[in-house]
Amino acid sequence: MNDTFIISIVTFIYFFSALTYLTSFIFGTKQLDRAALVVTVVGGIIHTAAIIFRWIHSYRLGIGHAPLSNFYESLVFFSWAIIIVYLIMRKRYSNSLIGAVGMFFAFLPLAYASLSGKVIADIQPLIPALQSNWLISHVISSFLAYACFAISFGSSILYFLKLKSRATFQHILPDLDFFDDITYKMISIGFVLLTLGIITGAAWADCAWGRYWGWDPKETWSLITWLIYGSFLHARLAGGWRGVKMSVISIIGFMAVIFTYLGVNYILSGLHSYL
Amino acid sequence: MFKKIYTFFASLKLTIFLFLFLAATSILGTLIPQGLNPEQYQELYNPRLFSIFDFFNAFDMYHSWWFTLLLVLLSVNVVFCTFPRIPRIWRLTFRGKKIIDDSIFASSPIRKTIALQKNTPGIEQQSADIIKALVATPVKEEKDGRIYLFAEKGRYSRLGIILVHLSIIFILAGGLIGTIWGFNGQMLIVEGEQSDIVTLFSDAGTKKLDFSVRCSDFAIDFYETGMPKEYRSDVTIIEGEKERISGSIRVNHPLKYGGMKFCQATYGIAGVKNLQIFAKNTTTKDEIILHLNMMKKVSLPESDTFFAIAKFSPDYEGRGPAVLGVVIESDRPHDIFWIFGDNGKTDNQKAGNFTFTLKDFEKIYYTGIQVSRDPGVLLVWFGFVTILAGFILSIFLTHRKMWIRISENQNGGEIKIAATTSGDRKDFEKNLERLLAASVAE
Ligand code: HEM
Repeated sequence: MNDTFIISIVTFIYFFSALTYLTSFIFGTKQLDRAALVVTVVGGIIHTAAIIFRWIHSYRLGIGHAPLSNFYESLVFFSWAIIIVYLIMRKRYSNSLIGAVGMFFAFLPLAYASLSGKVIADIQPLIPALQSNWLISHVISSFLAYACFAISFGSSILYFLKLKSRATFQHILPDLDFFDDITYKMISIGFVLLTLGIITGAAWADCAWGRYWGWDPKETWSLITWLIYGSFLHARLAGGWRGVKMSVISIIGFMAVIFTYLGVNYILSGLHSYL
Repeated sequence: MFKKIYTFFASLKLTIFLFLFLAATSILGTLIPQGLNPEQYQELYNPRLFSIFDFFNAFDMYHSWWFTLLLVLLSVNVVFCTFPRIPRIWRLTFRGKKIIDDSIFASSPIRKTIALQKNTPGIEQQSADIIKALVATPVKEEKDGRIYLFAEKGRYSRLGIILVHLSIIFILAGGLIGTIWGFNGQMLIVEGEQSDIVTLFSDAGTKKLDFSVRCSDFAIDFYETGMPKEYRSDVTIIEGEKERISGSIRVNHPLKYGGMKFCQATYGIAGVKNLQIFAKNTTTKDEIILHLNMMKKVSLPESDTFFAIAKFSPDYEGRGPAVLGVVIESDRPHDIFWIFGDNGKTDNQKAGNFTFTLKDFEKIYYTGIQVSRDPGVLLVWFGFVTILAGFILSIFLTHRKMWIRISENQNGGEIKIAATTSGDRKDFEKNLERLLAASVAE
């Protein structure tokens, strides 16, 4: 049994958890919400074990490195980061619908990684440019930031769902403020983590290429994302913007995140195109 | 007039406009490839588009005057936003710690008055518990028969936001200093040779260093899979006649000297040495191995001809490594032909009476070392540290102050509550109400 097999099981666990959350939301049963949480935690523990297993395995192959170095590993870590962020934010904002959306977002990258067949799951040795401790902190902070943004994106979508849905559906959804609050909190934490991600990335670039900033497409797109969320924070804190406008910026911001993560590699090219 | 200019530069609208405009133009810069040469652009775009793009410096956008201007505007904006706020934040942070302050109960943003119907025992303890739950253990003072309780927490939180905003100035200033007084380029050095010339990236000019870099060896290590594991240049810095330092430059492990940084960037094959060519005389069946280097002729046995190698190709026409052999007769080239290895795919090369096979050779590499000097980089790191410190202060700390005044007499009396928070006010008020409801005071 290898880690990619375990990860494909975790994929199904998360899907199951998302369904359980959704059922709990539709029927309003608290027990199902707790059951879904248990499923999520079990999935999370197995997920963590798979990552550690892969890490150890890479050492056995004599090419030991943290499993954060290729596209497959980044998808697996992205999903893991979403689980972590969800479990933390759940303490304050427990609602089955957020759970369903969070689990669905954790499921998506894993589903793509294990089912698409296009993503190479082999453990590969590290090319020289990736042999850096800055890279590890860079990837961890960036993906935790992306996870926060994913949840804020989900919450903004739910905001519009609440706003536009029919009356019968309306009353089972939480207040607009509830979603607005999640969007804001997740973005402020995500913004700090993204800043940390950009800084550690700059430190890595300085080591590897002798310049901390070179306007290559990946760097530039991370800056674009940072600028979009930066305008979000200012519009909210100092401009008093709330609600619809904020949800729109949050959705645009997440588009920029996805483009930074995937679009740059598939559409544009640059120094980062090893992924 | 000055007021107008001030309001413009201090406005948050300008900030958001600059953020979004910088984002939009940066997107353009990732769609239009940067830093190609004019011919390549003319191939990509039609003449009209080319001249429009060229006019707006779209081919080196991030270094254009207008992009720099946007960044300068942002710095001015931050300065105008931040400095006027400092006195108020300073006051909120460092002053107003008076325990006995009757005016605070009328002016504080969060305030509440609760009337007491009768003498309530334990009211002081309950008040202290509420303060402790919301802020911290209070201090107590008494004056004119009234009890004053006060507590404060997370005092430096508001300084965080100043740090965050100042850090932007440090980072942008550091970046500007780097572009003006720094440089970035590449030097190519063949193994065993030295160089003091850096080809600059920006304007394609060159820069002569005060010292030379000699590369004694360049090596690549491979993993078993054939993927590269390490690129390494062993170099020595030579100033005048003196060898200053020696070391190896690997990817992610640059060498620093003279305020400059040397990074492993690229490599290539400059030529070959210690060639061994197997030569066989087809008539006498004599076999010999010729040891030679590039462009050095050797004489072939039992003939009045010479032989030399003129060129090396790492993979000639997909047929593997090959050298260009020249047979020279009385100083006049007689025959020129490619000589391949002994891999069975190619026939041995015939020239005159001889067939030749490439037996062995050593590659001579050249290494490409990126050389950069950035006098602004320290300021940028400093800005990075201050922005993170600022975030930590403003996120992990919330500045809260809370006062309670208990005035009791025979008929009852009143409790006055006042509080300020740098965090979520609604949250604070909600918690306060919850605690009050649970206490006997209400
Ligand atoms: C260019 C980079 C800038 C960055 C990275 C930045 C960052 C931030 C952040 C993260 C916050 C939220 C702080 C918190 O969580 O409490 C904030 C708030 C704020 N910023 Fe900026 N800012 C920038 C530029 C500006 C400029 C140019 C202005 C001036 C118009 C400005 C004015 C403000 C104001 C008024 C607040 C609200 C402060 C409060 O609510 O206490 N910022 N800024």
